[in-house]
Amino acid sequence: MKEGGTESKGKKPALVRAIKPIVLILIGILIAFPLFSIGYYTMVRTSTPDFCASCHEIKPAVRAWRESTHVNNAVGVMVDCMDCHLPAPQDTFDFFFAKTYHGIKDVAIHFFVGEYDREKARRSAYASFDNDQCQKCHRNLLNMPNSRGAMLAHRATIYARQGYEKKCVDCHYDLVHNDKIAVMYRQYRKLPYQAKGLRVEKPGI
Amino acid sequence: MRKMPRICIVEVLVIFALVCAVPLAASAQQTNYPKVKEYRIERSIAPEAVACIECHRATTPGLFADWAKSRHANANVSCLDCHLIQPGDTDIAKGHDQYYGRSDMPYGEGKYKVPIASIVTPKDCSRCHPDEVTQYSRSKHANTIEIMWKLDPWLNKGMNSDNERKTGCFSCHGTVIKIDENGTIDPNTWPNAGVGRINADGSKGACTSCHTRHRFSVAEARMPEACDQCHLGPDHPQIEIYEESKHGTMYHAYKSEYNFNAAGGTWTAGVDYRAPTCAACHMSGSGKVLTSHDVTERLSWETQAPLTVRPEDFKPFPAKSDWQTERNKMKAVCQQCHGDSWINDFYDGFDKAVMEYNDVYFKPVKAKLDELYEKGLLDKTTFFDEHLELQFYEIWHHEGRRARMGAMMMAPDYAWWHGFYEVKNRFNAFMEEANHLLKTGEKAYRWEPYPNATGNTKRPVEVFPE
Repeated sequence: MKEGGTESKGKKPALVRAIKPIVLILIGILIAFPLFSIGYYTMVRTSTPDFCASCHEIKPAVRAWRESTHVNNAVGVMVDCMDCHLPAPQDTFDFFFAKTYHGIKDVAIHFFVGEYDREKARRSAYASFDNDQCQKCHRNLLNMPNSRGAMLAHRATIYARQGYEKKCVDCHYDLVHNDKIAVMYRQYRKLPYQAKGLRVEKPGI
Repeated sequence: MRKMPRICIVEVLVIFALVCAVPLAASAQQTNYPKVKEYRIERSIAPEAVACIECHRATTPGLFADWAKSRHANANVSCLDCHLIQPGDTDIAKGHDQYYGRSDMPYGEGKYKVPIASIVTPKDCSRCHPDEVTQYSRSKHANTIEIMWKLDPWLNKGMNSDNERKTGCFSCHGTVIKIDENGTIDPNTWPNAGVGRINADGSKGACTSCHTRHRFSVAEARMPEACDQCHLGPDHPQIEIYEESKHGTMYHAYKSEYNFNAAGGTWTAGVDYRAPTCAACHMSGSGKVLTSHDVTERLSWETQAPLTVRPEDFKPFPAKSDWQTERNKMKAVCQQCHGDSWINDFYDGFDKAVMEYNDVYFKPVKAKLDELYEKGLLDKTTFFDEHLELQFYEIWHHEGRRARMGAMMMAPDYAWWHGFYEVKNRFNAFMEEANHLLKTGEKAYRWEPYPNATGNTKRPVEVFPE
């Protein structure tokens, strides 16, 4: 009886009961939408090479990139800073985390340390690269009839033996951020392209 | 009567035919001379690479033919794939550019001009063979210049001349290649295919030490002949030891049946070869042990060192591995053909030989030498210019190595007659002379002036950065 009484007492039409959640959801959307938009817009605005070049430390890297084959090629593909230096945007959490972390770190170092060693930064970039970054675009690497040697080396990287894991950038380096005297167009490359071979970091190694 | 002229005509014709046939036969003989190796450009290849091939088959036909027989040619890997470098690199052979302006040469045109390096280095090879280069770069082979400078009194005390080093020591150990701003290689450092050569691009070694140019053959490196160019003679007669051993005997008897060209990772004991070669035990994959280009990986004693130590305790270049693991690897290689008791009992004999050499012979001689230095009876500033120093050197560097290596690779003549027998004699002679000096307080006689002690004593900065 008691139960039934409570039920009949508190019973309201379904529409009336739904008003509160609907209002809350609407308020949520009203607050969240601009926040998401601002967040998204911020991400888009801060993901361009131009934005990266707004830090004077990064300017030379962006300038060299503009002259590289990652910008200038016959198929019109442009590979942005983000494409190599951050996890793919579809890995949303990793992407946001890495981007925010690097943003804060770079600003903090700019103001509190001040010193920027390009060679050191280059080495740490090489160390942080993941082969998946390159393989987002460079995927067909195992069958290259004109380059049997590359086929061998790519197999030794993609199917690396335990203890012999390699990074793409161990052999392919100084490609994008090397200072050039002229714009480098991939289709006008005079010399056949080849990897440089395993990087030698310092004399005697 | 009427037939006579007809016979004459036949005879004349026959003679005529014979006379004609002589030059014909001669020209037919000409065709028996070896033909020039053909190479038709049938597969796609960069025009600059075509220029290399066409020019070099005319100018250096032997080199070209050698390459044309190689696995590289088989895979369409041409000159350019190894020799091409990028503008601005330090090792560009600038002198080579002149050939692109020579109209008397096929393809001697500017449009084919590319920067090339004369010296192809392990770094270049790593473009296609990265794991092999990685393994090689941690071996004693690759680091032999560093080891040599950390140990050797000939170099550190300048007791021989630079040319004695170039033609002797550095031929095997390797030079530190120097290239001037005109791209000319310093003749004091070149030609050289030493295993520890320091190259202009900073890489170490020369793959061509064992896989000679321009064949780069895996088969060649599997043969003991690849090793014997350096591993011979009084100080480390590995090849003589091998040849005296059963392994060497069987190799010579059956090598015609060996399948040296087996694909990488498939060369099999008992199937492709009967008795092992140097490479079969020290480098090749065998059973579950994987192939390694680190030739010193499977060692459990440093039998070349003055005092025999474990590889990880070898101060000039400590191995990153652990001797017990490596010995087990080597035992697993032995197990392809030998049973456990055979292997263990063999190692028992080897270990005893090492311990006897260390404790009975080397340590007392070293202690005596130190005592002589301490008492000022021997001069410490130079080496090799006093008889006892030479005696000390030879007891470990010559017969002491022969004894240990002879025991290791089961060559009785080297273990005993060229080894411990000589060690014993040297020991006695050394002790007699040393004790005489100690008893009389007489200083050792110095050979002065020491001949041709003019060599540079500065460690190469490329190996020992300042």
